[in-house]
Amino acid sequence: MRIQVKRTGGFAGIERYAEVDTSGRPDAHEWHALAEQAVAAGRGTPPVGVPDGFSYQITVDGKTVYAADPRLTGEQRKLITRVLKEGA
Amino acid sequence: MTTNGGFQPVFCTIVPPHVLDKLAQHEDSALADPARRTLERDAYERTHRRLTTVLGASAAAPPAGAAADQPHRTVYDAGHTQDLPGEKVRAEGSEPGQDATVNRAYAGLGATFDLYLKAYGRDSIDGGGLPLDATVHFGENYDNAFWNGEQMVFGDGDNEIFLDFTIPVDVIGHELTHGVTQYTANLTYFGQPGALNESLSDVFGSLIKQYSLGQTAAEADWLIGAGLLAPGVSGSALRSMKAPGTAYDDDVLGKDPQPATMDDYVKTGRDNGGVHLNSGIPNHAFYLAATALGGNAWERAGQIWYDVLTGGELPTQASFADFAKLTAAAAKARFQEGEELQAVLKAWEQVGVRTA
Repeated sequence: MRIQVKRTGGFAGIERYAEVDTSGRPDAHEWHALAEQAVAAGRGTPPVGVPDGFSYQITVDGKTVYAADPRLTGEQRKLITRVLKEGA
Repeated sequence: MTTNGGFQPVFCTIVPPHVLDKLAQHEDSALADPARRTLERDAYERTHRRLTTVLGASAAAPPAGAAADQPHRTVYDAGHTQDLPGEKVRAEGSEPGQDATVNRAYAGLGATFDLYLKAYGRDSIDGGGLPLDATVHFGENYDNAFWNGEQMVFGDGDNEIFLDFTIPVDVIGHELTHGVTQYTANLTYFGQPGALNESLSDVFGSLIKQYSLGQTAAEADWLIGAGLLAPGVSGSALRSMKAPGTAYDDDVLGKDPQPATMDDYVKTGRDNGGVHLNSGIPNHAFYLAATALGGNAWERAGQIWYDVLTGGELPTQASFADFAKLTAAAAKARFQEGEELQAVLKAWEQVGVRTA
């Protein structure tokens, strides 16, 4: 499973992008569960966020959903944080 | 003005809406009732946010017995979670504690309140004594600060690129000015009106810093976010109103992409249509007008910009040219046909925005 996260906006207006390929990872099933929940709670179009709030684009195996601070589900927060931290 | 006793921001809906829908229909009321309440709360928040956008926000009531023309500050600590507002750690009038972040947030709210009250006679963000709430230590290594429509939220930064977002007082002023804009001109956060919304936050954020330091236009650094970049980053700040496009040039961050004039206007769908990019143009116009006039920038240039922001004639979809024309009209209304009007007209001409 390929999980991509793009973060845009924010006070600095600086984009960040990272992705994780779960194939061969020992914790792959954990990533899959998290990714599926995050995508299920996502939206098909970018939601209106708040000024300077981050906007997120989450793509899992080609399917893209959108979310924005401060309204993220717990799974979305966790997935975004992990991909941006551990991804390349 | 309506008061509803203060709304409690609840943005921490962890359960996705479709799960709540399902739960709310459950036969067991122990499951259904909380889900229904959460959905109602969620719907309330959404409707409230939309009404706030359309109508401007109504004021939360200042605490009973609180003096007018005094700030009503409360700082909360999210303890590195993303749950708002968090634990209350400092109330108005209490002594500074051990946490420098809490103290900086408290002082920054005060500095913002001071400029608006003393320079423009505005009692808080809404002009009606709105309590100023801030949450610090939001999230883990969270690289941002924002006004969520009702309160301030500050991250600690990741310490590799960004330090603590409470460090620059202009960042605090920038975010709270988004609140002022929300209650006044309510500029749409996209394209040119969005870039104006961003620019007004930079203008008043910088003026709050200048006012608190007692700096004239000539003495000010005109930087936004000075002190925010971690020591290893090549850059002085996030934006420069004096010289947009020169704030940083770094291996990781890249180069400051802001244009200073319409010749370099950026057409993009990203960043809400480049709101943090093209804000460099009106930012530079303000810098040019303020430095041409000299003295304290909040007094004449700042007054003209404030008059446009709060005057009721600025459309929510205003273009740069709409805004520029209104600054000329405001300069004339307040200072007649003097050097203020000339400084404003020349500033817009220099950045390539038409005023006629």
